[in-house]
Amino acid sequence: MEIIEHPPIFRLPGIPDPVAYTWLVMIVLTALAFVASRRVELVPRGVQNVLEVVLLQFQELIDDVIGPEGRPYLPLIATLGLFILSGNLLSLVPGMAGPTANLNTTGACALIVFCTYHYIGIRKHGPITYLKHFMGPVPWWLKGPMFVIEMISHLARPLSLTLRLFGNMLGGHILLAMMFFLMGLDGLIGWALSGSPAGMVLGGLGGVLMIAFTVGFIYPLKILVSFLQAFIFVMLTMLYISGAVEGHEAEHH
Amino acid sequence: MRRSLILAGMAGLGVPGLAFAAEGAATGGGWIGPFAVIAAGLGMAIASGLCGLGQGRAVAAAVEAMGRQPGAAARIQTAMIIGLALIESLAIYMLVIGIILLFVQPIK
Repeated sequence: MEIIEHPPIFRLPGIPDPVAYTWLVMIVLTALAFVASRRVELVPRGVQNVLEVVLLQFQELIDDVIGPEGRPYLPLIATLGLFILSGNLLSLVPGMAGPTANLNTTGACALIVFCTYHYIGIRKHGPITYLKHFMGPVPWWLKGPMFVIEMISHLARPLSLTLRLFGNMLGGHILLAMMFFLMGLDGLIGWALSGSPAGMVLGGLGGVLMIAFTVGFIYPLKILVSFLQAFIFVMLTMLYISGAVEGHEAEHH
Repeated sequence: MRRSLILAGMAGLGVPGLAFAAEGAATGGGWIGPFAVIAAGLGMAIASGLCGLGQGRAVAAAVEAMGRQPGAAARIQTAMIIGLALIESLAIYMLVIGIILLFVQPIK
């Protein structure tokens, strides 16, 4: 991907960029949590206030989707959501690399979700009952094929979680780089600077328009997509957990 | 008439590939590279177009439901966003395949 995307400005030697920027996100989030919870007050102020509002949003979402049984999973879901959101937004800062635009990071998050919701289901219902609920409410001669289909559908879940987040982020980055560098700076501005009269008129005007379009439209769109993808990841995680907790209601996603 | 148009289109698509193939064979590269570019572009076009059609139907139905029942707008909106994500992931699969075809190039 180095053909299109410029490598980040700050690099740790010997360490891949996504790993280094994952550490950056971890440090920022940990420092925020430490500052917010160092002196917990009854009437929150400052950072504590902000983080309480954010966590309250997650809690309301969990109560809405999973129900009262979902409260123990608030740490997992809120951590995933905050990590993915910070990673998405970090990749929009010029000169930084995004950890979520890498297949390994999103794959790790999706595998954590996959293992967790199966663990929750097995711990709640026991292995036999949990395996039985894959077969669904069908007559006995359909239970075999139904089991196979449900297995494939469950195995496709981490794949689709991984590829959705990764593809959205990487596609957005490629689009942004294409519009800004290839078409804007290199193409049209370069045409304007080449000295030909047509280039000075058309290329200058077109380059300014293209850069204004990129900064004014595509960049805010990417910010919206960052929030939306974090929300969707968290929402699907909650749906999977609620499906494992409830048991006998088959969900098709 | 139509058949001849299709043949002409196929020839038009194939000629640059053949030209590149001759050049690639001369330089020792593979002949599949140009076709990978065509496949990535065409596949992404088809996938994104059909994905747009599907998302348009979903959004139309959701907006209609919201207009009928404004009280349930929040729940309908959540369900709509999840549905849009699930539809969109199909186009994202094609995007990933296109990226693999263009940059990773597993088949040379």
